[in-house]
This record gives sequence, C-alpha cells and structure tokens, in this order.
Amino acid sequence: MKILCDRTALQEAVTVVSSVVPAKSTKPILMNLLLRADGEGITLFATDLEMAASVHLDSVKVSKPGVMLLPARETAALLRELSDPTVTLESMDQRCRIESGGGSFVLLGEDPEQYPAEAQVRSGKRIEIPAGRMLGMTQETVFAAAREETRYAINGVLMDAAAGCVRLVATDGRRLAISYENVDTKNEFKVVVPLRALTTLARALPENSKDPLAIEVGDKQIVFTTPRMKLVSQLLETRFPDYEGVLPKAADTTVEIQRAVLEGALRRASILCSAELRMVRFEVGDQSLRMTAESSTRGRADIVVDAVVRGAGGSINFNPDYILEALRQCHLDQVRLDMSDDSMPAKFTLGESFTYVVMPISGA
Amino acid sequence: MDAFYAAIEQRDRPELRGKPVIIGGSGPRQVVSTASYEARKFGVHSAMPGVRAKQLCPQGIFVVPRMEVYAAVSAQVRAVFDQFTDSVEPLSLDEAFLDVTGSRALFGDGATIAARIKREVKAATGLTVSVGVATSKYVAKVASDLRKPDGLVVVPPGQEREFLAPLPVSRLWGVGPTTQRQLEHAGLRGIADVQSRSEAQLVAAFGNSLGPHLFVLANGLDPREVESDRAARSIGHELTFARDLRDRDEVLGVLLQLAQQVGRRLRQANVRGTVVRLKLRYPDFTTFVRQRKVAPTADDLELHRTASELLDAAWDRRTGVRLLGVTAAGLVDESTPVQGGLFAPAVQKRDQLLKAMDRIRDRHGEGAVRHGVEARRSNPWGPDS
Repeated sequence: MKILCDRTALQEAVTVVSSVVPAKSTKPILMNLLLRADGEGITLFATDLEMAASVHLDSVKVSKPGVMLLPARETAALLRELSDPTVTLESMDQRCRIESGGGSFVLLGEDPEQYPAEAQVRSGKRIEIPAGRMLGMTQETVFAAAREETRYAINGVLMDAAAGCVRLVATDGRRLAISYENVDTKNEFKVVVPLRALTTLARALPENSKDPLAIEVGDKQIVFTTPRMKLVSQLLETRFPDYEGVLPKAADTTVEIQRAVLEGALRRASILCSAELRMVRFEVGDQSLRMTAESSTRGRADIVVDAVVRGAGGSINFNPDYILEALRQCHLDQVRLDMSDDSMPAKFTLGESFTYVVMPISGA
Repeated sequence: MDAFYAAIEQRDRPELRGKPVIIGGSGPRQVVSTASYEARKFGVHSAMPGVRAKQLCPQGIFVVPRMEVYAAVSAQVRAVFDQFTDSVEPLSLDEAFLDVTGSRALFGDGATIAARIKREVKAATGLTVSVGVATSKYVAKVASDLRKPDGLVVVPPGQEREFLAPLPVSRLWGVGPTTQRQLEHAGLRGIADVQSRSEAQLVAAFGNSLGPHLFVLANGLDPREVESDRAARSIGHELTFARDLRDRDEVLGVLLQLAQQVGRRLRQANVRGTVVRLKLRYPDFTTFVRQRKVAPTADDLELHRTASELLDAAWDRRTGVRLLGVTAAGLVDESTPVQGGLFAPAVQKRDQLLKAMDRIRDRHGEGAVRHGVEARRSNPWGPDS
C-alpha cells in the first residue's frame, strides 16, 4: 500500500477516529486504527467494540491499494508534528513508512486481518437533520449530563424523536438541558446515547454545516452517517428520568435580561460564593434583578442590573455554575427566566429551541 | 442502662422477672447480647457463645432480641438526657456521655443532676440506670460500672487518682487479657502500681503508644471532650451477626435498619450527612470501608440507597457478611441550604414526613410506622432455623 495525501486532512481524520481508540485495553490490537486504500481514496476505521468510527478521504493519491494497522496514538501525534503540507505513507509487511518534511519514520503495526471488522447494523428507524444543527444540539445539552457518581450518572443523553421533532435531553438530576429540531419524518424512537458517542460525533461534525446527517436507530445500536464519516455506537439500556414531568408549566415571575449582562454579573458574583455551597441569590425587583453572593471567609458581592420583569417578583437561589455553563452555549442577546419559588424548577429560555431547567437551592 | 435489653424484656413480660434471661440465641453460632443480673450469677455475660451460656445456665430463658423496641426505649432515655444538656455523646443504645458543665447553674451540681436523671429515666421507662460523675470521660465510665445495677458513684474533682488506685489494671481502657498479662509480668497488678510509675518509665516499658495511654488513664487525666452528636464528625451504627449473612435481601434488610438508626440520630441532632460510609466485614475479619459523597441528607431511604449501592459494588457475594456498618459523615446543620433535585421530592417536605414518623415512633414504638420497603424484610436476628 502506498498513498500521498494532504497532511492536515489526514491528521483531522486520524484525530476523529482516534477518539474511539481506548487509552488502555486488554486487547492491545484495539490500540490501532485501520487504514484502507482503494480506488475511491482512503478510509480510516477504529473501534473499541462499543463504538466504531470511520472517516473517508477522497482527495488522496493512491498509488498502491491495500490495508494496514497503525498505532493510533503515535500516528496522530506524528501527523501533528510534521511540517510539510503533504505526507506519504507506504506499507511493507506490517510496518508503515511515513515520509514528510521533518524526517522519515517507521511505525510498527499489526496484522490487519486480526482487527475487529465493522459491525453490520440491522436497519432501523431513520431520520435526517442538518449536520450543523446536530452539532449545535449536542453542544447545547452534553454539558448538563452527569459525569460524577450520582444517581443520575447515566453517562448518556436521551434522543427522543416523536411527532416530527427530535430532541436531545441531558440531566444530572439538578439541571436539565433540552434542545430540539423539527424533522420531516414520522419515525419515532426514544433511546439513550452514550455521552462519549456524542462528544466524538461533535468533534467530527463541521459547524454550521447544512449537509445532512443521517441517524439510524436499531435495536441496540445507533448509527450517525455523513457523506464523509460514519459513527456506530451501542445504545445504553439505562432508564432515563421522566423529563417532561419536570418542565415547569407555569411561573409566578418572568425576567428578561441581556445575556451578556447576566453572564458578567454571575461571573463576578460567583467569585465570592462560599466554598462549601456555590450559591447566588436572585432578587427580582421592579424592573431590576439583584444578584448577591456571600462567603463567610472571603467577602460578599452585590450586583443590580436592569431587567424586564413581569409577575410577582421574589427571590430564589441558584448555583451560578449551572447557569454560566448554559449561557456559554447560548447565542441569544436576550434570555428569559421563568421562576416560582425554591421548591419549583426554574426555566431559562436560551435559544429558539434551547430550554434549560435548573432546580434552585432551597432553605437559604 | 442496667442489663438494658434484658431489663426491657423483664419489664414487658412479668413472667420473666426474677428469672435468668438471656438475650440472644442458644444456637451454635449465636452469641449472647445481654444477660439479666439473674443470669450473670451463673457466669453468663454478653458476647459469650450461646451454646456456652446454655451449658452454664441450663434454666436460662433465651429471648430473641427486639431491636426496634430497644431503640425506641433508647430514644426515650435520650430525650431525658437532652433536658439536661445539649452535649450528649451516645456510645451505644444504652450508654452515653453527658457534659453537664454548662448546666450546673440551672440544675445543680453533677451529683444532683445524676440523681435527677436516674429518677426521670425510671419515671419515663421503668428502668434503672447506673451513673458515674467525674471530671473526665474515662473516670466517669469506670464510676458508672462500679455499683451496677442502679448505682450512682461521684468522684469529686482532685480525687480521681485515689478513686482509681484500688482497681485492677483490667479496668483500664484497652487493657485486655494480653496486655494484662504483659502488665502483670512487669509487676503491675493494680492501677495503683501503674500510678507509681512515671510516664517515662511506662514509655520505656510499654512503648510510645501504650505507655502514655496507661499513664493518662491511670492518673485520671483523660483529656477527651464529650463529642455531642451535634459536634460529631459522623454518626454511625454497626452490627455483628450471630451467623454470617449470605442472602442479599437479608443484608439489605439490615442495611435499612442501620440506615434508619443513623437517619433517626441525624434528625435528632438536626444535622444532615454529606458522606455515606459502608463498613463490611467478612468471616475472616477482612474489613472494607467504602464511602460516597451525597447531597446533604438525613433521609433513611437515601442513606439506605447509597449504602446498598456501595454494598453491591464492594460485596462479591461469594462469602458471607459478618458485620455491617452505616455511617453518615461530613455533617452539616440542617438549616444549611440544599441544592434541590429535579426528580426528588423537596427536601423540606421529606424532612417533615420523616420527623412526623419519628414522633409516631417516639410515642408508639419503632414498629408503629414503617417505610414501604421494610414490610417484606425478615428479621436477621431471628433464631437459626
């Protein structure tokens, strides 16, 4: 096998595929990625047996077709460090010679025949959405998924397709993010996708792309396909909590505020939260929002900003980090907060199809 | 409390009064948990194998423990203590240290308070309690053991050494049969002998750990404060089984009872735990402790859920379980604000419910109100089948 290709394009492809490669494995062969060169270009493939990714590159000159295994980590690192715009890869037995500016290198691979083959997915329900939109929905939700050891650490995100709408929902039990997109299909499914599959997907999807992303849900697997890339992942069998039940239906008070103003105020206030309990108090006044924080050992913050207020007013306490993490994914100039009391979830509207629900801190 | 479990059985079952009552089973792997004073005359004592107790005292009446009743009585006793001071350190269901330093202006000196406590415990529960009054925890404990049952021993300040001097070294905390032999070998039979040595001599003879310990105790210098529930860093309960438990449901049943005892004490102390700790001991005495951080809680079922998850992660189920313990640590005041959960009932509502359950139990006994999950659990203290 011998190929000549654009180094940056190859590096990007290797990076995407490598994110599937496990850091450690009892099966050392899984530390490799598979490179196949044929008349249509090259395909990179890697799997950890739970998830598999493949990326296709066609702007490649294939002088000799073939298959080889490359050590994933070293290949990715090397491609990053080389200086020429192009790179040549040539295989001899199970070794791969890489020529580019900066030197010549030999990587020791393994027998490609021993590498697990791509699993055949039994066809399931299919929907299509623009790739850029899927990226946006993923970014708007994954941050809210639990990573620590809690009861809701399901390490997954719900994908709920129903009534011409596909929603991603992520929660850690204290806050919950929902992002949705209307789709032209009657297919319905409700599955929990591993967090890792979505973060890998997000890394592979271009921003603002209108290219279609096909999502196919089978019995135990989900497949994401773009013209260049395919990602297959096992689905989680975890039960996802009843998210629709916690969406507030009504609110006593509505506050509309500039996103940048809210974000700046919260960042300043959060500096002086107590270390044991990160808490900022929101007091809704007459067309204003006051945010205060206090640490018994370090000091206090008191910030008043303009806001459009409707309803009863009142006060409520939040963990500022929860709100700041969500605001980072918000592209609106103006955000809206619907709140009641500290026993009820509060709702932030952070985009046309991006809703965020946060449980307040009670008993303060 | 004097022969606490046995005394409760004799109180509740008049036919047992004046008879040798042994709480626990007489089966091959069961142990005596408490013996009535009548049974003690035969040499029966707690922690003794049931079989041995049966040999020593064939006419002994073996009674299956009713832990929930004992816990309810313990709560009544605790309520009496709480009237006299907010600094109460429970050691077990039937023993506690009270620091009444700050209560003397209200209630009189230590001896007066002790006498009142004895009267009020008797009035509330019909049971007798032995009290020791002293300037340190160790001396008070020794004093309380000296005239059981129904004793009251006061050691005035400054007379700690004289009080301890005539007692045997086995009265020193941490001196078991092995250490006792070690001490006797060095010519130390009574506490007076230990008092006659300087700290340096004791360190030279018994090392850097045991030496100072002996010196401090023998001279009545125990500096440890009473650690009340409120100030305690953790609240926990553990239980050793007469037979090793193998059945997961049975183990979970015990965990629930432990979680309830811990939850109850957290609520009594108006605190919540932020760390749940599980202790697990196998028959070969290997012991595991696993813990997890949780949102502040004093909720029996939350404690139980976390403890169960820790159990499932730690227990391979190939061996039986000899001991289980549940502890809540990282205690915070219950007025500390709490991050609410989207899918959990509001903490305050849950608090109200649990405290209402506590009040019902205080009045009508531990079994009067239960969590739904409890009903199907078997009694792990039941006799061997």
